[in-house]
Amino acid sequence: MTRPSPFSVRGRHALLVMRDEREISIVRRQLNRLGMTITEHDPVEAPPSDETVDVIVLDADTIPIKSDPATVWKVDAPMIALIGTETPSRLKWLLDLKPASYLIKPLRSAGLYTALVVAFDSAQRRIDEAAYIERLEDRVRSRRVVFAAVLQVMHGHSLSESDAFTLIRRTAMRHRTTIEQLSAEIIAVGGMPNRTTRTA
Amino acid sequence: MMAGEMLKSALMAIDEINQSDEFDFTFAPHLRDPGGVVAAYHSACDDLIRERQVDHIVGCYTSASRKQVIPIVERTERLLWHPARYEGFESSDNVIYVGAAPNQHVVPLVRHMLDHISGDVFCIGSNYVWTWETNRVIREIVTSAGGRILAERLLELGETAVDHITKEIIDRKPPVVFNTLVGESSYSFMRALHAAAARSGLSIPMLSCSLCEPELRLIGSAASVGCITSSAYFESIERPENRAFVARWKARHGIDSSPSVDGQSTYVCVMLLARAIRRAGSADVGAVRRAAANHRYDSPQGPVWVDPDNNHCFLTPRLARSVPGCQFKIFWEADAPERPDPYLSNLDLAAIGSGPEKSNDTMTKRSNHLRIVK
Repeated sequence: MTRPSPFSVRGRHALLVMRDEREISIVRRQLNRLGMTITEHDPVEAPPSDETVDVIVLDADTIPIKSDPATVWKVDAPMIALIGTETPSRLKWLLDLKPASYLIKPLRSAGLYTALVVAFDSAQRRIDEAAYIERLEDRVRSRRVVFAAVLQVMHGHSLSESDAFTLIRRTAMRHRTTIEQLSAEIIAVGGMPNRTTRTA
Repeated sequence: MMAGEMLKSALMAIDEINQSDEFDFTFAPHLRDPGGVVAAYHSACDDLIRERQVDHIVGCYTSASRKQVIPIVERTERLLWHPARYEGFESSDNVIYVGAAPNQHVVPLVRHMLDHISGDVFCIGSNYVWTWETNRVIREIVTSAGGRILAERLLELGETAVDHITKEIIDRKPPVVFNTLVGESSYSFMRALHAAAARSGLSIPMLSCSLCEPELRLIGSAASVGCITSSAYFESIERPENRAFVARWKARHGIDSSPSVDGQSTYVCVMLLARAIRRAGSADVGAVRRAAANHRYDSPQGPVWVDPDNNHCFLTPRLARSVPGCQFKIFWEADAPERPDPYLSNLDLAAIGSGPEKSNDTMTKRSNHLRIVK
């Protein structure tokens, strides 16, 4: 699957969570120029659940920071925050929503494209990083399994720890599998599995 | 109510300027009343600037309305003279901020609370930016000094059902209540807490940084007494400029009427503007802004001048207690007008607090020593 470039925004869908008509018209006009589609949404209403959204443009000043709507906007879609009030209390609330990008009000047509590109790029990076962390966590979880397999091979073949690990690593490479997977098999069958049929 | 007080004060200042020999020009006011409807502020100012060729706009009480006006004054290079104290964290080249910055209203009051009342505080306020940010500052200072926020209760703007909160306060008996409610919510709350405390035989100190004399009348004589209030202006300031100002005010608006902090500040806005125009020799915005910088005006509230670093004003913070007769008795004022710090960049948390280990070295370095005002 080729991932979309953050620079190509045509066809993406934006949810505008804003109230000020002048600023809505600036955003609407610029997004139309860029070929994006738009849904407008009242800030006090709960986020729509039935819509696929590529980016949320949220006017931070329209949502009271101590209220029910203050937490419901912690959503997966990347968010561009529109900031008017720079008080720390407001910014602290905003940080909890993890905005991917932001713009300072009053809005102009310039700046929105940069905010979109930064938002799409940081959203993609977030997905990549989450996947990478999951792979690392998998490997951390299977450390016990690898350790148990090394012990088993040490006993079964009378090898030192480093020789046992080298044998497992080489066998995994020959079988075109991971050390973690081979280790699970070693534990399951009580020794080095016989997989000659699959070797090259 | 505030809009009316501010308008009365602006018109009074304009009449005085127009009748004075000290100015070789007169002001022609163009009045617009957006009526607190946030979106209407932009169109009103757009009309004033484009159709009436107005260079200087005096007004806006709430931060929401000011944020509407800033884009247009910035785009068209005009000046907004803003009278109300506010929560800070803003500094536009096209606004002259004449109301108090947070270091001039919240910080002295919290310092007084820590030094003389308690570090444990019950906060109640209206659910909007003024309360959020004031409570954040209170929390930062109080927790740094080892105190606690016992509760943070919020009411929607205009809400007057307060009994559940007064009941909680009577049940928990906090050593002090910090009130950032505004308008009718605040008046209802002060009446209800006064009644409930009287029934229970309790006396709980209350703090405010927005209460003013006309509001004391609205609250009622008994319930309005005893609130410790931080402000740059009180009617009771004993300065010749203020006694003359109050006399002119009463002659114009009635012997029973009182100027308010925001009204007096609006008067100061118009006076600062007139003096800057006189000094610049022109109403041109750039020339007026340069002329206003550091140009001292001995106003009713004392010396005031614009700090060109951030366009806010040097003002003298004061603390007072509301007393019978809908007046404030001032018990502390800063030695000198205090430099505005809208971003609280110079707030030294280590220097605030009641611990003796803190007071030894750092307190003496502070610019504002406590001074008793008789």
